[in-house]
Amino acid sequence: MKRILIVDDSFYMRTMLKNMLSDAGYEVVGEAPNGQTALELAKELKPDLITLDVILPDNTGLDVLKGIKAEQPDMKVVIVSAVGQEVIVNEAMEYGALSYIVKPFSEEKVLEVVSQVLKEE
Amino acid sequence: MKSREQEYKEIFIAEALEYFDALNRHISDLEKRPQEDKLLAEIFRLLHNLKANAKAIGYLRISDVSHKLETAFSLIRNKELQFSDEIVTVLFEGVDLLGELIHNIDNENYGEPDPVLLRNLDIIVDNLSDSTIELAKVQRYNPTKNLSLSELVYIQIKKLDHLLNLVGELVIDRDRILSISRELGNDELKSVSSHLNRITEELQYSIMDARLVSIGSLFNKFPRIVRDIAIAEKKEVDLALSGHDIQIDRNILQIITDSLLHLVRNAITHGIEKPEQREKKGKSRTGKLSLVARNDRENVQIQLSDDGNGIDLVQVRKAIVERNFLSTAAVEHLPPTEVLSYLFEPGFSLAKEVTEFSGRGVGLDVVKNAVDAIGGRIWVESEKGLGTTFILQLPTSIAVKGALLFEVDSIFYAIPLIHTEQVVAMEVSELHEVGGVLVADVFGETITVVYLHELLNVKEREMNLGDKSRLKGLVQNIIIVSYNNRKLGLIVDKLYRQQDIVVKPLSKPLDAIDLYGGVTLLGSGNVCLVLDVPAVTRYFISRRQLVAAE
Repeated sequence: MKRILIVDDSFYMRTMLKNMLSDAGYEVVGEAPNGQTALELAKELKPDLITLDVILPDNTGLDVLKGIKAEQPDMKVVIVSAVGQEVIVNEAMEYGALSYIVKPFSEEKVLEVVSQVLKEE
Repeated sequence: MKSREQEYKEIFIAEALEYFDALNRHISDLEKRPQEDKLLAEIFRLLHNLKANAKAIGYLRISDVSHKLETAFSLIRNKELQFSDEIVTVLFEGVDLLGELIHNIDNENYGEPDPVLLRNLDIIVDNLSDSTIELAKVQRYNPTKNLSLSELVYIQIKKLDHLLNLVGELVIDRDRILSISRELGNDELKSVSSHLNRITEELQYSIMDARLVSIGSLFNKFPRIVRDIAIAEKKEVDLALSGHDIQIDRNILQIITDSLLHLVRNAITHGIEKPEQREKKGKSRTGKLSLVARNDRENVQIQLSDDGNGIDLVQVRKAIVERNFLSTAAVEHLPPTEVLSYLFEPGFSLAKEVTEFSGRGVGLDVVKNAVDAIGGRIWVESEKGLGTTFILQLPTSIAVKGALLFEVDSIFYAIPLIHTEQVVAMEVSELHEVGGVLVADVFGETITVVYLHELLNVKEREMNLGDKSRLKGLVQNIIIVSYNNRKLGLIVDKLYRQQDIVVKPLSKPLDAIDLYGGVTLLGSGNVCLVLDVPAVTRYFISRRQLVAAE
């Protein structure tokens, strides 16, 4: 079972994502509400994939992405953003994010992106 | 159980209200420190989340207003817009509107947001480059609503405890004044004291009422707990809840929380069988667990039933003998309800072999102690192979209890009504001396009877619980009490009335005497001891066993 870490500062968003992913048979191994926790959990849990919100209370999603990639260059990261943040998303892709999901997202879209990214072995 | 939509909605609202409060706080701070980037970033983040969440769940008005505010703040952040007084006003009003929208999510009668405010927001968001001129267009939005504060206040339970104690003192003084007023026969005093009586009663019930919470606040935690335990135990369990709206004192609910949790865990771990075993027995794979609350006279009854293994009476009987509680002969004739009552005995809980077959026993004495402590009762009913039911009978409120007043050796006593079954009058000739104690046939049931004078006020070595000749008078007043499914008749000298009493703890050195649960003052000014029925029952049993041993 593929293991996923969800990084998002909104409990509502985390709950939705978690339900969608668990229903589809993924194991959500951790949830981080801020950048600091995200970095710690990424190191500790070594998930197969991380979904990363780009706006976090302590640091930006981009900083978190750089931090994760510095420690685990092969970590698969999918950016979760809202409309209007294309600049940040593009930058994130340059720093090694594999794909992105735009809020509000549909279940199909989330599962499509996640399964595609996880398939690229 | 709650649907996922309902769950999402509740999470959304809770989080949105949190964001709303934080936004108000941050914008006020921003007024004082308009240059602080951190604050702007935080406000932006909160609005951004609110927008995304509202859009996801489909509250488009909220996402629309959040979006406008978010845009305005990102302009301020990028120094494209001055954080001026006019703008602050509109932004505050925008945030207020968000709060209003969130609070009225379920309100079908909520109308449209004020169009002036929406237009103002649009002006700020759309026409910024030319700031000074465009801003002049902003019309002052005059909210017609008054400042509204929440209809609810939070209050520390400690403060309510204090109020309840004070009202307890007041009730005692009130009773005293009523009694003096009756003695003096002064009309003016009578009218004042009867008014005082009414007001005190109303005050007492208002405070008791303020402490009530719905049992649902506890019940709602169980679906998740049951699910987790069931998964850990590899069982399939279906939980049915009812009686969410039943009200009970908050402290009582707090005290029985652990007990209920314990009983639920026991029911799943030891009561309900694994799915395969259930199938073999011809039961459905999924075990049924039900938690029901209902009002029962002045009390609240909570019933926890499972359709699992049940308790094997034969094994419990064997254990009662093995643990030296009773002789083999005595156990034979024990009715099932009394056999089961031994499960609550402290010594029983340690009996490992008992817990293995019955699955009950561990910590049941602890559960019982908690229920005793609040003046409640607990008993269990079970049928081997079919399931087990625990019944908890709890007082609705802690401080004031209905009690029966009586007299023994010219001392006043009270027994809480929760422990009294009935009151009978019997002639001495109807009492029989059997095995060192007295017994009576009460409506076809043989009940052990004890003369309270003998038990309470005679030195232990002179005590004789089976001697009829010690009784005074021809007709005996007997109060039948019940504790842990065991009935006991208490012979008293004089019976008085039922009355609400406020139980005060005993002061030193009397607090060491565990036969009394406390003390109350009667209107006459007399002190009245409150009998602790569990303690009296235990004391009687220990005396009887001593007699039997001799």
